[in-house]
Amino acid sequence: MEEIKRSGLRGRGGAGFPTGMKWSFAKADPKFPKYLLCNADEGEPGTFKDRPILEKNPHLLIEGMVISGYVLGSEYGYIYLRGEYPAAADILNAAIKQAYEANYLGDNINGKGVKFHLAVHQGAGAYICGEETALIESIEGKKGQPRNKPPFPVNVGAWSMPTIVNNVETLSNLPYIIEIGGEAYSNIGSKECPGPKLFCVSGHVKKPGVYELPMGTNLKDIIYIHAGGIRDGGKLKAVIPGGISTPVLPADAIDCAMDFVAMPKAGSMLGSGAVIVMDDSVCMVRVAYRALKFFEHESCGKCVPCREGTDWLRKVLARVEKGKGKDGDIELLSDIAEIMMGRTFCPLGDGAAGVVMGMIKHFKNEFEEHIKNGRCALSC
Amino acid sequence: MITLTINDKEVTLEKPVSVLEAARQAGIKIPTLCYHEALKPYGGCRLCVVEVERMPKLQTACTLMAADGMVVKTESEGISKVRRGILEFLLINHPLDCPYCDKAGECELQDLVNKYGPTVGRYKEEKRKVPESHKDQIFARNMERCVVCTRCVRMCNDQQGASAISIMGRGNHSRMEPFSSDSFNCEYCGNCLTVCPVGAILSRLYMHSFRPWQVDNEVETICSYCGVGCSLVVQVRDESIKRVIPRTGLGVNRGLLCSRGRFGYEYINSQDRLTTPLVRKNGKLEQSTWSEALHIVAERLSGIKRTDGGSAIAGIGSPRCSNEDNYVFQKFIRMACGSNNIDSISRTGYAAAQKYFEELLGQGITTNLIEGLKNSEVIFVVGGDPTAVNPILGLSIREASRRGAKIVVLGNAKGLDRFKTLQVVPPVFREMEVLEELLVGVSGVKGARGEKLDVDKGIRMLSDTYSGSMDIEGIEELKQTLLNSPSTSIVFGMDLVQRANGHRAVFAIAGLTYLLEARLYLLSDRPNEQGLIDAGCVPDMLPGGRPLDIHDFKRKFETEWGGPIPEEDGKTLFEIIEGARNKSVKALYIMGDNPVFNLPDAQYIKEALQALDFLVVQDLFLSETAQLADVVLPALGWTEKTGTYTNLERRIQLQKKAVNAGSGMEDWKIISEVSGKMGYKMAYSDAEDIMDEIAKVSPLYRDLTYREISKGNCLWPYHGEPLRGEIHELPAMVDAASDFRADFYLALEKPLFHSGTLSRRSPALMKICPEPTLKINGAAARKLGLHEGNRVQVTTAAGSSEVPVSIDDTIKDNKVLLSNNFEGQGLFSLLTYTLDPVTKAPGIEGCEVRLIKI
Repeated sequence: MEEIKRSGLRGRGGAGFPTGMKWSFAKADPKFPKYLLCNADEGEPGTFKDRPILEKNPHLLIEGMVISGYVLGSEYGYIYLRGEYPAAADILNAAIKQAYEANYLGDNINGKGVKFHLAVHQGAGAYICGEETALIESIEGKKGQPRNKPPFPVNVGAWSMPTIVNNVETLSNLPYIIEIGGEAYSNIGSKECPGPKLFCVSGHVKKPGVYELPMGTNLKDIIYIHAGGIRDGGKLKAVIPGGISTPVLPADAIDCAMDFVAMPKAGSMLGSGAVIVMDDSVCMVRVAYRALKFFEHESCGKCVPCREGTDWLRKVLARVEKGKGKDGDIELLSDIAEIMMGRTFCPLGDGAAGVVMGMIKHFKNEFEEHIKNGRCALSC
Repeated sequence: MITLTINDKEVTLEKPVSVLEAARQAGIKIPTLCYHEALKPYGGCRLCVVEVERMPKLQTACTLMAADGMVVKTESEGISKVRRGILEFLLINHPLDCPYCDKAGECELQDLVNKYGPTVGRYKEEKRKVPESHKDQIFARNMERCVVCTRCVRMCNDQQGASAISIMGRGNHSRMEPFSSDSFNCEYCGNCLTVCPVGAILSRLYMHSFRPWQVDNEVETICSYCGVGCSLVVQVRDESIKRVIPRTGLGVNRGLLCSRGRFGYEYINSQDRLTTPLVRKNGKLEQSTWSEALHIVAERLSGIKRTDGGSAIAGIGSPRCSNEDNYVFQKFIRMACGSNNIDSISRTGYAAAQKYFEELLGQGITTNLIEGLKNSEVIFVVGGDPTAVNPILGLSIREASRRGAKIVVLGNAKGLDRFKTLQVVPPVFREMEVLEELLVGVSGVKGARGEKLDVDKGIRMLSDTYSGSMDIEGIEELKQTLLNSPSTSIVFGMDLVQRANGHRAVFAIAGLTYLLEARLYLLSDRPNEQGLIDAGCVPDMLPGGRPLDIHDFKRKFETEWGGPIPEEDGKTLFEIIEGARNKSVKALYIMGDNPVFNLPDAQYIKEALQALDFLVVQDLFLSETAQLADVVLPALGWTEKTGTYTNLERRIQLQKKAVNAGSGMEDWKIISEVSGKMGYKMAYSDAEDIMDEIAKVSPLYRDLTYREISKGNCLWPYHGEPLRGEIHELPAMVDAASDFRADFYLALEKPLFHSGTLSRRSPALMKICPEPTLKINGAAARKLGLHEGNRVQVTTAAGSSEVPVSIDDTIKDNKVLLSNNFEGQGLFSLLTYTLDPVTKAPGIEGCEVRLIKI
């Protein structure tokens, strides 16, 4: 526990909560059993960082979970796997079988008196189940909808027991921390959020893919140095730096360190580290519409602003995008987004509102042109 | 102590509550939609957002716990803007069909929009279209109006425990739907109607027939169906009942109702109601006048009294009539007719069991708060399904289960299937032996308690004669569960009382109650079974449960009533029936009951009544019994008169008049008129007048007034003293029951949706459940080639009936169940009975039955 705290590891799922602190809450709760849930419901559009771990190095995750289980006094772990990752399910199950056979999982791991069991639970395709309390509802066999907090899962989680939900990448950092020590780990990357980070770069870059770089690497460097810059001689227009839920950054605002502390100052968020790069062939109204189509489809329906707001936003955006926008639509979109922002039950609605707000903030002219000309200037 | 500031007002809290509740306590109203006081907070509608100092975002007051030093603002420009925005969101897909919607006028959304809402809509897109569903007979479902607050779903899951509905679909496509798709397959409690804030689920009973603001009269009263006595509100327009609704937090039911209570009210407006007295002339019942009919009754009864003595006259009171009615009735039979032959249908179960329990363990032993059930750690359910007989009491058991109590069931209780921790199903008709084995086992560990020496003696006798143990799965676990329980409740249904030697089951339950120091609850399927006993409508006891054979009591009543009470022992119900057959009873006065329908062996009962010289029936309908009468007198029913009822926990409650009936008279009034004509004057001005007399003469209702009763918490004994128990007879130790080896045995089912005479005249209940079904085990049905819904001919020695089959695998494979709530298909017409020597209840076990697929 001390090593984890010393390492300064922060959750890689998107919120960046200090892992050691989260664990200490669950450990302090006297109730048993405690559950360890691995959030492998990688559904945030643009995100594919956990997939290589799940498919190429599942034992790293298993090792990380055994370590966590040992530290937390948890004897049961579940990997909540995204339903659209069927290959990963086979691979994980095979790896878990191997681990049991090698006595790295079981009632008495390597004869050390440590018990830890692990199983894979496949989701059914709902984005909301990546939210930790919705994930818990789902794993209990209920409809995937977020719960009231407090109580937090660390105290009342799965089956009302103390529960830790950690991202795949977070848990996969643990073997390395234990190997080199918390102190050494904390020297990697940014001071306030240390360690390596997986960045998955997609869109109009020459070399899209997953890059493991120190936390705090400059966004510009990720795009131009690591991912090889904009492809086909295009010109950078905008970047969504951390998955679709994080606000868009225009081309001139990408000189910023990619970590949980610096990104909010730059006007966005690190999120899952999913860098979506868009060149000047992209219509931002269409991006907004596509994003809202996703959010509307994935809204769980529990709270009013998200359920109705995403629906309304999508419908208006669809109209504007098709060139059927009217005067006042931009103000209406801003208004709807503003009412949603901060008032939804969980961050899903904030994400949806954030996309619209960000797009209007930086690319209002494109919306105005759509409405004025009745068509998209880029004819896409 | 928590002190916080809400809108500059300091609020101090006794215990931790949400900010919403704290504000409520301070008299500050925060708008809500998904919140309901009976349900857990949900946080979905976001209307209750408030500003809290040092918190970055607006917080939902329903989910935020109040904390010391918190500074909260519930109204501000910003908050109003958000609320307006949320309401606008709710309206974008809403059909805005208020002029057509039944909910208008009591719609929470309408009220909120009125206060906070946008006056102009900005939504120009296409609306979500979901056609209104009328596939169900009772509920209309309009999912365009639904605001997805999930109050109905949470009510159904967390309070009713039926789990029949859910939110289907996701996000913008969310809609409430029963798991059974379009029509509901549920308990039809209608509690979802209570909590729906909008017009998404509506009752079809009164659809488009009135507006909430057009209600002329709203009366808080109690239900007329079972022995729980739920509080409800009757809404009246043009002297007819438009709707029955519960009120949250009110009464024993705390705002919940069952199908009978909520939807079974229409019988009172039935076209079949008697409108004038009927008198038999030339063998036919003909319309008559009150003066003629009353004259004939008084004349004939006086004549028979003169020629054959008072003991040739008998009376049957009614557990559906009020305390006042029954009190006046027994006084009339005793004082005007000069007979102690007075009993009621309650003899078939409740009255028989209750008396024996009180003899064994003392008066009041069956008197326990229904509310207390949920605090029990073990609830032992025997002899019936509480969720069907007394549905609201059943909900307390479900609630206990949710709180972690162990629910152990002996026999079948379908409504507890998802709540029970242990169920022991003995072979057919052998539950009693299981109870005796439990009693012997428990007394082996606990020993004699030494408080009731006679009961200890009885248990010892039982233990001495006890031979060997029954090899039935779960008995040992059941015994250990009872022995290890720190607080036990026993819920006892009447099925085991209605057995040959049913008193042995009663003794075993009494013994267990005594040794385990348990709370005992008797299920009661009529509203005033306890009340009629307390009113003295039993042959051997005067009002207040005072035994007639104790001279001091008798003399006291003789002084009060101004005349001698007859010496001769009274006959119990079945002794009256026998008396009619052997001509020792010549005249019978039946108030508000239908023995031909409600007693086993209908043909036998009918013959007995036909053998009488004179039969008077006082009822709402021309029932099977009334059809045999010489004089039929139309009475007033529920909501047409005022009176008190005593429920199974001995809570005395007021049933109030709500409508002016066209014809008919109060039961007590008819009786007192007849009594006066027979020379025994009873000058009561109204029901309250009678209660004043009861409060004077009955030691259990001492000083009781209508004013006190109206306050709601009049529990027995009200300022009075109970009697200590004394045993007349110890149980006769009869040999163990014989093996029941026939292919099928017929037993009685008590269904949730029906009670009999009243329910079958309620169109809504007839729609929910139009005919009886024969419940049969799946394997047994397959052997006969029967499938769900097939019709089958049910034949016993007494008769034959045709009914559809319904498969129920919780029933033992050589037992079939049939209810007795329908005209012409009643189980009781197929059953014969034997009488229990101690309780005088009918035993209806061992009825072999032949089933032939049609």
